[in-house]
Amino acid sequence: MTALEDRIDLYGQDVETGRTSLRRVVEPDDDEIARRFRDGDEQALALAYERWGGQLHGMAVRAFGPGPDAEDVTQQTFISAWTGRNGYSAGSGPLPAWLVGICRHKIADVWAKRDRQRRQSEAVAADVASRPGSSDDVDTRVADRVLLLGELDRIGQPQRGIIELAFFEDLTHAQIAARTGIPLGTVKSHIRRTLERLRTRLEVDGAALQP
Amino acid sequence: MQHCSPEQLALAALREPLPAADAAHLADCAACRGEVAALQRAVDALAVPALAAPAPSVTPPPRVWDAIAAATGVSATPAPAPTSEPEPAPAPVVELRPRRTRWLAAAAAAAVVGGLAGAAVLTRDDAGAVVAATTLDPLDADESSGTAEVRERDGVRSLQVDLDAPSLGEGYYEVWLLRPDVSGLVPLGVVHQGANSVPLPDGLDLGDYPVVDVSVEPLDGDPAHSGVSVARGSLS
Repeated sequence: MTALEDRIDLYGQDVETGRTSLRRVVEPDDDEIARRFRDGDEQALALAYERWGGQLHGMAVRAFGPGPDAEDVTQQTFISAWTGRNGYSAGSGPLPAWLVGICRHKIADVWAKRDRQRRQSEAVAADVASRPGSSDDVDTRVADRVLLLGELDRIGQPQRGIIELAFFEDLTHAQIAARTGIPLGTVKSHIRRTLERLRTRLEVDGAALQP
Repeated sequence: MQHCSPEQLALAALREPLPAADAAHLADCAACRGEVAALQRAVDALAVPALAAPAPSVTPPPRVWDAIAAATGVSATPAPAPTSEPEPAPAPVVELRPRRTRWLAAAAAAAVVGGLAGAAVLTRDDAGAVVAATTLDPLDADESSGTAEVRERDGVRSLQVDLDAPSLGEGYYEVWLLRPDVSGLVPLGVVHQGANSVPLPDGLDLGDYPVVDVSVEPLDGDPAHSGVSVARGSLS
């Protein structure tokens, strides 16, 4: 599987191609942008936005439709990435994948914010109507997402890449093994341990939110 | 029967199909189902379309960069988004690779694996003379293997495939012949676990297409190779 491993990384990116040779001559490749980004080169932030802003904004628009919430997600993703660039290392995977991870956090944050606003407005309505015991029900799934995305950040590679392929690219364990070159049995045991770790996190820290 | 393994329960939480015996046990066992449900809470929270990758690219309005520049104090400016229609999406973020590219990459590995495959003993019986053979070695997983033999009888050639592979919840196995240099492939048809016989096209030069490849194909109506190969060998 050497040839396969050489050509693609854990996220299934083709590291060799994807751009025309003309552009490669005049523009830095993704790795160079990542390195300069980490080093605090301001031009690298502009290049990253140029290259990946459309895809990140596409994720935000898919979640919220075009408008202020989506724009805020895209904005906050790049701002957080820039101010938190010391947290990006070679072990974090390719820069675009790292940015996508931040974007997921921002999307989950907007869901949580909307959920808080919904409960507040419902609480006000309930107050006015003097209805006791009205809905204070947190949407547990919204809260779970924020918690679990934070836990994913703490999981090392290759476990994190494996579970992300399962969660976010809907690949089966056999496809993940084929994509990454990691043996099938190893993929299965990583998936099991990661799901058990996430369950534990929910049981410990999500418990108060359970109905 | 005994309980499902923790690995199988985790796969069930991801809604992967289990082998038939495990699936049957799971349907009847409250303890195993409870375990799947507990693991599934995380899956249900995160494996949602809104968080999936990739999404169609949408060019953000200029005010988005303006806000980023204002918040970060960065004075560099990105090149304006192209106005005419062009350039496919920029370098893929976590995009699924196109099927063809995936196949090329996978098939490029075929030469490596094919070179490792050993020749089987050539024999003759009532199914015809064995003119070429190979063992099929597992790829990635050690779950699928087998043998393949080209037999010739009355001038007609067929490929006998004996496949030892797990049951598939969805999709099917298909056998192909590949060129070692990856410049082409010939689909031969659907195969199942156990013994199979598929006819070979007349005039096909096995010297050109010596690599026997077994793939898992989804029932998606796409005749192209899925890029998911489970066993391979090189005829000799």
